Amino acid sequence: MTANDQPHRDRPDDGRPDLPNGMMLEVDDLTVDFDTPSGNLRAVDGVTLRLAERETLAIVGESGSGKSVLSRTLINLLAGNGRRSGSIRIGGRDIDQLSKAERKHFFGVEVAMIFQDPMTSLNPVKRIGVQITEAMRYHLDLSASAADKRALRLLELVHIPSPAERMKQYPHELSGGMRQRVVIAMALACEPRLLIADEPTTALDVTVQKTILDLLDELRQERRMSMILVTHDLGVAEGRADRIAVMYAGRIREITTTDRLFADMRHPYTEALLNSIPRPDLPSHTRLHPIPGRPPNLLDPPKGCAFAPRCRYAQPDCLESEPPLDGPHGHDWACFHPVGTPEGAAALAANEEAGVTAAGLSMSESEEEFV
Amino acid sequence: MAGTGTAHLRDGDPNVLVRVEDMVVEFSISSGTVHAVSGVSFDIVAGETLGIVGESGCGKSTTARAVIQMPRPTSGSVTFNGTDLTQLGNEELRKVRPDLQMIFQDPISSLNPRRTVSDIIGEGLRVWGARGQWTSDRLDELMEAVGIDPRFGERKPHQFSGGQCQRISIARALVLDPKVIICDEPVSALDVSVQAQILNLLEDMKQRYGVSLVFISHDLSVIKNISDRVMVMYMGKVCEVAGADDLFARPAHHYTRALMASIPGSKAVVEASMIEGELPSAINPPTGCRFNTRCPAATDICRSEEPTIEAVGGDHYVACHHPATETPVTVES
Repeated sequence: MTANDQPHRDRPDDGRPDLPNGMMLEVDDLTVDFDTPSGNLRAVDGVTLRLAERETLAIVGESGSGKSVLSRTLINLLAGNGRRSGSIRIGGRDIDQLSKAERKHFFGVEVAMIFQDPMTSLNPVKRIGVQITEAMRYHLDLSASAADKRALRLLELVHIPSPAERMKQYPHELSGGMRQRVVIAMALACEPRLLIADEPTTALDVTVQKTILDLLDELRQERRMSMILVTHDLGVAEGRADRIAVMYAGRIREITTTDRLFADMRHPYTEALLNSIPRPDLPSHTRLHPIPGRPPNLLDPPKGCAFAPRCRYAQPDCLESEPPLDGPHGHDWACFHPVGTPEGAAALAANEEAGVTAAGLSMSESEEEFV
Repeated sequence: MAGTGTAHLRDGDPNVLVRVEDMVVEFSISSGTVHAVSGVSFDIVAGETLGIVGESGCGKSTTARAVIQMPRPTSGSVTFNGTDLTQLGNEELRKVRPDLQMIFQDPISSLNPRRTVSDIIGEGLRVWGARGQWTSDRLDELMEAVGIDPRFGERKPHQFSGGQCQRISIARALVLDPKVIICDEPVSALDVSVQAQILNLLEDMKQRYGVSLVFISHDLSVIKNISDRVMVMYMGKVCEVAGADDLFARPAHHYTRALMASIPGSKAVVEASMIEGELPSAINPPTGCRFNTRCPAATDICRSEEPTIEAVGGDHYVACHHPATETPVTVES
């Protein structure tokens, strides 16, 4: 389908109110705690974010970094034992100020989410058509036939061949790539202005992955939509995002434009993450550099910078206090001894001299004894 | 291929450990026959890592598993150390099994949660009659080799992280001193920093114990890093076989080129090689070259005649009527 076909334009762009100060999403000092049997777990720790209209922000991090909890909190899908503090404004509206009636048609409409696993996010015993039209009939109060028509157009939009037949099929009759397209069509059904995609292509093959990411890009441009792309894959983030936020242990450690992050990274964790990935441009059998140690226990987080115990730059001050997230020209990092600065170089040289970091990590490249 | 042929087999090499010729694996289901693997040939030299890459459903896992006769292939031969495994009875096959081990994708579900780690690693030794001090020395040695503190031998799998469980799986696979280990997506479920640890560990274990690896992955960067030789598969057929660096420098099959163009973040300059559409049905695969329905270079001959595997220079083989040998691509990251 070409852009000239003007697909699915019941609510034209122009009908949408302009965003105050152009910001689609404003998150301020967001903290999420969970009550667990072993104590309080702080999964997200003081996150502040801005996302402009049409912008794609990638949130990158490993398991346990808080990236998924953060994205679920944005769409009000916090588990029962979770508590949130800090404010979230979507399209200029504070989500805590919404009336009950407004809330009902806010999440899933203004902001929608694509989940990782296309098999478990579809109902196996309901036909595709029913699942896509459900939200439109509930939120937009469309008649069955109007919703069906619109579902057909949505399936065309996500490039599903013979959509009329697909509407009558069940999820198991579709391939993984087709199922993920259905999930995307469902997320787009109510024309969200903010789309949160949590690892949308992790379960898919690389060829399908590329098609899906291309599709999301195309839709974002066409529909003036902002997107948060949650991924563990720096490669995916590099190709798709305008800006990247690197998360570790519940906090954003570095955030800047994609180009600058790769050209001029500042946080040692960003550097360590990049060095641990096999790269297709390096020869076969190139030795990889794993990040030593393991992520901190969030039930009992370390004092100071959470990455310090695994960091080759760590100095005594890193163990004492948490560095603030700050920096010039839209490039923020949270580190006292950043990569590519005189402070960082001095810290690294001092640690190499001593053979050990301030946190007691050995500087030798040999594999850690036991993990 | 995606086609047939054996031009890429290294018959003159005395170090060939495994030789698979014209292997076919089919499964009967109610709506017909699934052609999972259709006439695949390859060989593995002792101490070599063969990477197998392709999309889900291309038969890469089935191919690797059929090598160790799980399941037994429908036809074709699998020669290991001079013996055709397909001709062996169950008891004879059992005696060969210690030489052929396997590591699975999900490290946690592949370990029995109710047994201790030394019990899990040492089971093979007990089955094969090792007793006493020798067994515990061997366990300590292996646990140290894979980076698990031997004092943790009495712990159970849930007390370890995913990466540690994968280390335990590797120790279990190594305990009987095998010749070949099939690694089926062993790092796909791991975080990138842990993935790097496991890839380095497999590389070290290969050096230390002289074992050959068959490494299956859908991740091309991982495949390039770990493999000596790479085999690209599509719909149960071999597309291309080459040394890892050679394959990435000069991909000749249009399917290989499409895979490379799809690497996230890669700026690969591959003209018009992005493939559209879905994988055809393995119950009723396309005639001729199985890739012809999605190939940008397909012509009439591709729809009627199956290509055979042929050398395109050096140790680089491709099964394609119109191999893209002229325009090398650069994969950058």
